[in-house]
Amino acid sequence: MAHQVHAYHMVDPSPWPLTGAVGALLLTSGLAIWMHFHSMTLLTLGLILLLLTMYQWWRDIVREGTFQGHHTPPVQKGLRYGMILFITSEVFFFLGFFWAFYHSSLAPTPELGGCWPPTGITPLDPFEVPLLNTAVLLASGVTVTWAHHSIMQGHRKEAIQSLTLTILLGFYFTFLQAMEYYEAPFTIADGVYGSTFFVATGFHGLHVIIGSTFLAICLLRQVLHHFTSEHHFGFEAAAWYWHFVDVVWLFLYISIYWWGSCLSSVERMPVISAHPVLV
Amino acid sequence: MSPKAEDMTFTRGEKLPRLASRAFSSSARQLKNKVPESQKIFQEDNGLPVHIKGGTGDVLLYRATMTLTIAGTCYSLYWLLIASFPQKKE
Repeated sequence: MAHQVHAYHMVDPSPWPLTGAVGALLLTSGLAIWMHFHSMTLLTLGLILLLLTMYQWWRDIVREGTFQGHHTPPVQKGLRYGMILFITSEVFFFLGFFWAFYHSSLAPTPELGGCWPPTGITPLDPFEVPLLNTAVLLASGVTVTWAHHSIMQGHRKEAIQSLTLTILLGFYFTFLQAMEYYEAPFTIADGVYGSTFFVATGFHGLHVIIGSTFLAICLLRQVLHHFTSEHHFGFEAAAWYWHFVDVVWLFLYISIYWWGSCLSSVERMPVISAHPVLV
Repeated sequence: MSPKAEDMTFTRGEKLPRLASRAFSSSARQLKNKVPESQKIFQEDNGLPVHIKGGTGDVLLYRATMTLTIAGTCYSLYWLLIASFPQKKE
């Protein structure tokens, strides 16, 4: 067998980009068919195909890195750039929703009562569950850093414990947020307040679930002895993603939960010529 | 009465060395490191691409995925056909 004389990774031909593309096609067209013809088959097929693709694609990456040794230092550098660029794209994704929130809340229209929160909206108390959620995510940032140091120092049991704790904190956040969603006195249909609140916090919650899943895979790999004290980029990528999720929450908490719930006496004065419309 | 360390044996009948009686953690037994075995399997010079190099399970999962891919593509084209005809208004 001819051996390569360079440090880069020439990947084997793979079917997963094709199956993933078809999965995305079925998911999107399936969504349209569900809305117009009330059939969920195409949508479900797309979801299953996408899940199968993700499982096999990432399984293959673990094989290429951990079992075949393809993740040399230059290759790992590329993986690092890739993860950083991906997280940057996610930052821009959230930036859009923050833009929408500030657009509507900095200059509330007469239809809202000329104030923020709009007339008729009872915002959530930022010093109750939202504050607990903030503490939970900040604590999980500490435990994931503890896990990283444990891995680097070769402390296997500690790494497993701290990583497990991080994931449990992630689940606790998701549980608390689900409770908040259920108990909230307003819905997504309650005007621009409801839209901006639930779309921004909803996408954040989805990212918490994705991040928790990524960390859970890392826990499994740590248990299976995949990580060494010098080489554990999969874990580092998961930790970066987790810190990103934490930072997005902090911005959400300060902007939407805290600043967005404050009533200003100036903003509360209705414009004389307009009357507030219940939205 | 608790057995002496010299008398303890593994399931395969080997005697437990004296010092090793303190080597196990108090929780469940540690998982054996199977990475070297996997490295041997996936570095074997058999010309197989990584997505089916793991064995029969890989091939079955690949076939199932590709079947869904092709069937799904046909099914989406079927719905495209249906959707492109004018719908009867009730």
